[in-house]
Amino acid sequence: MSNVAHKEIKLANQPQLGLGRIFRIAVDGVRYRLFRAAVTVSVIAVAIAFLMNILSESLIKRRLAAGARQELSELRDIHLWAARLTHPSSQEAILADALQEGATIDFVSMLDPADQARFSERAHIAATYLAFFDGLDYDRRRALIHTSRGGAIFDALQDAEGLDAFAARLAEMPAVRFEGTLDVFRAFLDEWPALAAQLNQIIAAHTAAVATLDVARADRTIFTVLAQEGDAFAATVRAAGFQLKPALVSRLREQAQAVLEKQILEGTLSLLESRQFLAQQFDLLPADVSPNDLWHFLEKERHATLYLESIMPLSATLKPFAASRLVELATARREALALERMERLTAGAGGGFLGMGERMGWLLIVSMLVCAIGISNAMLMTVTERFREIATMKCLGALDGFIMLLFVMESCFLGLAGGIVGALLGDLIGFGRMAAVFGVSVFSAVPVSELLSAMGSAIGVGVILAALAAVYPSLKAARLAPMEAMRVE
Amino acid sequence: MSSERRVIIRTVGLKKQYVMKGVTTDALRGVDVEIYDAEFISVMGPSGSGKSTFFNMIGALDRPTTGRVFIDEVDVAQLTAEELAYVRCHKIGYIFQSYNLVQYMTALENVTTPMVFGGVGPDESRRRGMELLELVGLGDRWHHRPLEMSGGQQQRVAIARSLANQPTVLLCDEPTANLDLHTGQEILDVLRSLNEKKGVTVICATHDHRMMDMCDRLMWIRDGAIERVARRDEVHVEVGSIGEE
Ligand SMILES: Nc1ncnc2c1ncn2[C@@H]1O[C@H](COP(=O)(O)OP(=O)(O)O)[C@@H](O)[C@H]1O
Ligand SMILES: [Mg+2]
Repeated sequence: MSNVAHKEIKLANQPQLGLGRIFRIAVDGVRYRLFRAAVTVSVIAVAIAFLMNILSESLIKRRLAAGARQELSELRDIHLWAARLTHPSSQEAILADALQEGATIDFVSMLDPADQARFSERAHIAATYLAFFDGLDYDRRRALIHTSRGGAIFDALQDAEGLDAFAARLAEMPAVRFEGTLDVFRAFLDEWPALAAQLNQIIAAHTAAVATLDVARADRTIFTVLAQEGDAFAATVRAAGFQLKPALVSRLREQAQAVLEKQILEGTLSLLESRQFLAQQFDLLPADVSPNDLWHFLEKERHATLYLESIMPLSATLKPFAASRLVELATARREALALERMERLTAGAGGGFLGMGERMGWLLIVSMLVCAIGISNAMLMTVTERFREIATMKCLGALDGFIMLLFVMESCFLGLAGGIVGALLGDLIGFGRMAAVFGVSVFSAVPVSELLSAMGSAIGVGVILAALAAVYPSLKAARLAPMEAMRVE
Repeated sequence: MSSERRVIIRTVGLKKQYVMKGVTTDALRGVDVEIYDAEFISVMGPSGSGKSTFFNMIGALDRPTTGRVFIDEVDVAQLTAEELAYVRCHKIGYIFQSYNLVQYMTALENVTTPMVFGGVGPDESRRRGMELLELVGLGDRWHHRPLEMSGGQQQRVAIARSLANQPTVLLCDEPTANLDLHTGQEILDVLRSLNEKKGVTVICATHDHRMMDMCDRLMWIRDGAIERVARRDEVHVEVGSIGEE
């Protein structure tokens, strides 16, 4: 036994393993424990799905809200123009327009070109102050500016005493956050008379223009004129000084036509026969029949035909109508109502945390917490139940760093898989829920690129949380002596 | 000749206490032993006497409560993490009572794991792994996972694994306990030839009497203390009485 030379124990440092080899070992580990891995992945997936669901819903809502606002504002064009072509505007209305982005103010061109830029700047400031006063509760508003409204508020503060009194009362309201400093306000008040003069100049021009149009209308309603004369009247409108874009004219014409037709149709409700007819259909009292019922009834071609057949003989106004047109009008009305409903339901989307609304922002934070807790718990379990394996590897010469990397890598796989499954699941649930609330129009409003980047972030959150959650237990395991790790239950 | 022989493992005042749920167990109560290079030593003792604990200490797998372990005159407590890993990987081979194979690895992968940690390339480790598996008679089962093998086969994989990096010291915790007579004998032959031909120090915990026939020295542990250390030729005459123990 001693005829062999000494086998000396020379010390050296254990080599570090390459990432590629660790990667392969990690993949093998996951592949073998596929079932256990699937459990962990599903926990992560559920957490990420929750997160993604909230993200996708708020993105879809935001897109829907923007779409609804846009369509509604187009539908309301006719009413906007009808008002502006028949009534001169007021100081307050002009200032309110100044606060709105993209809104054009008629007759600004009346002003000296040099003054125009200054005007919109001042008007914006004035509008901001008015918005501040409108935001006050009744008592405070009353104490600060009595019963004045709009430009009259600034008029009343023109004399120094009034302004001092205003400043004193404002100082007594520590809870009120005034827009900017009082000095800025004073400077603005000094400029107010000039602004008011410009506003009045605009209003005067508007009033004159409305008067010319009144003559051109010759007692017809604005809708009638728009519907009947279209382009010709548009020229008159432009000549009077309004900035009416040619592209808008045909739409206004159509909308005016629809308004007139609706008036005629709703007018038939004044006939007792018509009310009786509808009352029979809906099992109501004739007195209870509303325009809503009429429109609801007209949505079906068969019904529209029936209505025309029974009421036409009694009302000459219905002569020009075809059943299909009635259905068209009824459908358009239903769609407009749906848009209004969508606008109401999506109100609030766009503000608050990350532009997703206050409530959504809060939900997002909660879901992140759920995610973090769920994932770290899942990872803690997967690592802890493998302490024995870690111990064995340490006995065979594994470095602490190898064990850390192995588990962090593995967690990244699980996080990635869970993240992808969860993100898809969350999208699906989000689509489903939104489709249930808003109907299939949701699918035309999918904000693809935003949704993709949200999915990317959700998956990233899954991977990072999983990796982070694996660091603590695997570090703990790596630091223990092999047999200490072996003993951990 | 033993007086001038090299000491490969030496313990000084080695004590280990386990504290579990407030109960303190003295698993080792001060062990001072010297194990010589290239010797074959059997550690005997009833179950619970502290054999496994002793192995963990001299194998640098666990921290003693007090006392020191010297491996080739280097204090284990002084080693850095990298040096410790190196010693566990290259210098000591472990055969555990409970095999401790990695469940998701095949027999071959289990055997080559210490080579992977030691930085041996894939082809070389595969070749050496197959050789070792053939040595323990499992050449045809290299692709089986532990759950697909019997206890004896798993133990043989564990033995092949312990030899992966040509260790200087082989620590065997009851290596033949779960094997049938025939395989047990084969394992013993392997250990014996490693010891004789390659000069590997073999430290073996066992109840197996065949082991007593082939070892150089015998060591008895009882209640965490060394009861007796003797050369085989000193013991041989009393074998009958030991058998009754
Ligand atoms: N992890 C542990 N925690 C508490 N006590 C332990 C632990 N491991 C071993 N012991 C105790 O230490 C003593 C020695 O055990 P062990 O070294 O396994 O003996 P053997 O290997 O000779 O059977 C026994 O009393 C055992 O109960
Ligand atoms: Mg034991």
